[in-house]
Amino acid sequence: MKGFTAYLRAIWHVIQKDIRVEWRGRQGVPVMLVFSLLIVFLFNFALQLSPDLQAGLSAGLLWVSLAFASTLGLNRSVSLERENNALDGLLLAPVDRSAIYFGKALSNFAFTFLVALILLPVFSLFYVQNMLKLPLILFILLGVGAYTSLGTLLATLSIQARTRDVLLPILLYPLALPILIAAVEGSRGALIGQPLAELQSWLFLLLASNILFHAAGLMFFETILEE
Amino acid sequence: MNLSKKPKLLIVMDVLAATLVIGALILILFFTPVEAVMGPVQKVFYFHVASAWAGMLSFILAAAAGAAYLITRRINWDWLSLSAVEVGLVFSLIAILSGMVWAQPIWNTWWVWDPRLTTTAIMELIYLAYFILRSGLDTPEAKARLGAVYAIVGVITVPLTFFSIRLFRTIHPVVIAPTDSGTAFNMSPRMLTAFITSLVVFTVLLADLVWNRYRLARLQAQNLEEAR
Repeated sequence: MKGFTAYLRAIWHVIQKDIRVEWRGRQGVPVMLVFSLLIVFLFNFALQLSPDLQAGLSAGLLWVSLAFASTLGLNRSVSLERENNALDGLLLAPVDRSAIYFGKALSNFAFTFLVALILLPVFSLFYVQNMLKLPLILFILLGVGAYTSLGTLLATLSIQARTRDVLLPILLYPLALPILIAAVEGSRGALIGQPLAELQSWLFLLLASNILFHAAGLMFFETILEE
Repeated sequence: MNLSKKPKLLIVMDVLAATLVIGALILILFFTPVEAVMGPVQKVFYFHVASAWAGMLSFILAAAAGAAYLITRRINWDWLSLSAVEVGLVFSLIAILSGMVWAQPIWNTWWVWDPRLTTTAIMELIYLAYFILRSGLDTPEAKARLGAVYAIVGVITVPLTFFSIRLFRTIHPVVIAPTDSGTAFNMSPRMLTAFITSLVVFTVLLADLVWNRYRLARLQAQNLEEAR
């Protein structure tokens, strides 16, 4: 039990460090936020969207902008560790390396979730519908959790390559497709007021993805980082 | 360069695979009945399903070989994994293209966003990304290690993708109802024979191609070693 508390504390320290870096530099959340808003504007004109958007379209738009913006945050979060060999310092810490993975994944989750929470009122304003609904927030919680757990693993993987700046989206998007389908469909249902019972297959799919990809991170993070 | 001689068993297998493919082709062209509704184009089905099967099988093989590499750290497993991905990519492409040839007259469209089609297409993209990942890495060791991780994580997302698209389709109205190629028409005994033969033949062909590609990977590695 004592070992487990120490493990949790190690995870918490990594999260704390990331939050501190973000607070001082403010290079993650604002970038993601601005980028996702830009995507909303691009899509608005590219697809000639009307202000009274159908629930399906606004859920799709929300997830596309989140998915794209999150890649920037993920890349930033990992390349931050590469600068000045900060990663070596982290790896020297006498803790299980999966604790570092969970710390990074959770802080990435927190930042992307924060961006989503800021986007919701903006979307409500732009597309004349109330998007601050609890079931929708539940789907965002689960969807972002699964997405960033897979994303953190693949960002750590792609940073090892020479082509690191362009690699992450190519590796991440095809594997993240089931997460995005479930998240968009669940969010759409939540927006048009379907009861959660009708959406439970999407909930289960997202829960399963969360478990699966966190487990993959637990298993492979150390393998990815060995030299 | 030291080109080691091709193993006798591999030559035997080459000949066997080629004969079997020609034999299956004759069986399909001359001994299976023409399907009553769809006509001769239905004959695409035998090789189509067989190549989809071979593609899926080789991606599973690639993930298994990747896992074996991570456990044993013997580079041979990486050669096998890489070969399986490459061959699987070609088989899946054949499955998609032959499916399109069938879909155009039957569904009146080249492409439908049906779970099977979409999952196969996404699989192609996953394994193309696998090659892009490998090409960005410098040492054979890094290629093997990170390639193995990606092949394993990739293969576990495939059922998730299939399942999510199928759910998506059952909730949404389907514009063009896909008559499932395998189950919509009842196969006559001779069709069934040709179908199972095709599956067996393509499995042999897959084994032969992967073996040849594996041998190539080994020769490449030896060559690189000697060049140093």
